[in-house]
Amino acid sequence: MHKYKAMSEENKLSGQESLQIITEMIQKVKGTFNENGSSAILWGAVVGFCGLLSFAEIQWKFDVGFPVWGLIMVAAIPQMYIVFRERKKKLVKTYQQEATDNIWLVYGITIMAFVLYQSIVPGVSDKLTEGEGYQLLQKNIATGAVENYHYIIPSGSSVYLIIYAFPTIATGLVCKFKPMIYGAIICYALFLVSLYTPFKYDLLLMGLAGIFNWLIPGFILRNRYLKALPA
Amino acid sequence: MFNDLNPILHSQLRLAVMSLLISVKEAEFTFIREKTNATAGNLSVQIQKLKDAGYIDVLKQFKDNYPQTICKITKQGIDAFSEYVTSLQSYLGK
Repeated sequence: MHKYKAMSEENKLSGQESLQIITEMIQKVKGTFNENGSSAILWGAVVGFCGLLSFAEIQWKFDVGFPVWGLIMVAAIPQMYIVFRERKKKLVKTYQQEATDNIWLVYGITIMAFVLYQSIVPGVSDKLTEGEGYQLLQKNIATGAVENYHYIIPSGSSVYLIIYAFPTIATGLVCKFKPMIYGAIICYALFLVSLYTPFKYDLLLMGLAGIFNWLIPGFILRNRYLKALPA
Repeated sequence: MFNDLNPILHSQLRLAVMSLLISVKEAEFTFIREKTNATAGNLSVQIQKLKDAGYIDVLKQFKDNYPQTICKITKQGIDAFSEYVTSLQSYLGK
């Protein structure tokens, strides 16, 4: 392997050799694989599992006895641990990694903000409407029964699908990692489908998004990482 | 022939270190040593020269009770490297 010398031979360095050193070092850095895919695999597995299980609960009418999507919050703890541990282990920080770290940070904030939006806005809207002296009612066409109408966020899962696709496509484009680009394109397609499907199928689409967006690219990343490890 | 080339950069190991650091935000000493295959002693000397020239920042700290040296290229280092590459291109073009 080429060994860079410093002292005695430095004056003999030719222009071609200088150029070769620069090119070789830049290539070496480009060939450094830091991402082992753990985060993507964990996140993809959890979202995929929650989506498919919550769809199955409605489809086959059973109850697992706990809020399925609560697992996301539980998974966030090992997720943060993995991110922290990997960051500590890294011997080099690239501009690309810094960019993708920031993209995922914004994704985390956006997801939490949307969860807050979904849980707060309907109740507040009910109160604001009442405060303005109105009451919203809904009528059952079949029975004719009239009941109070409470605000809901229509097709919130469609919004989740857009949010899921955003960091994935950004990471895929920044890192030129095609599995994430394709995963995000599939996620956008699932978003379009979700505009026309009832909630039950939206859950299925969210599960599929987790699998295509993160789980499969995560396994591909892991495979590349393991192949790049010295034998 | 290369009288105009920056002598601080016109050295195999220092040029290798700078080429590596220009591509990343920061790198640990062990990473640089692994990529350049240099000895720790030689690398330390060259890193010190680059630091003295103001081309890199060197941060020494402890990680899990082990000393850790992090190197990062400075604005001055980026300018010097860019100038070096431009000069090199003009020489090679002659």
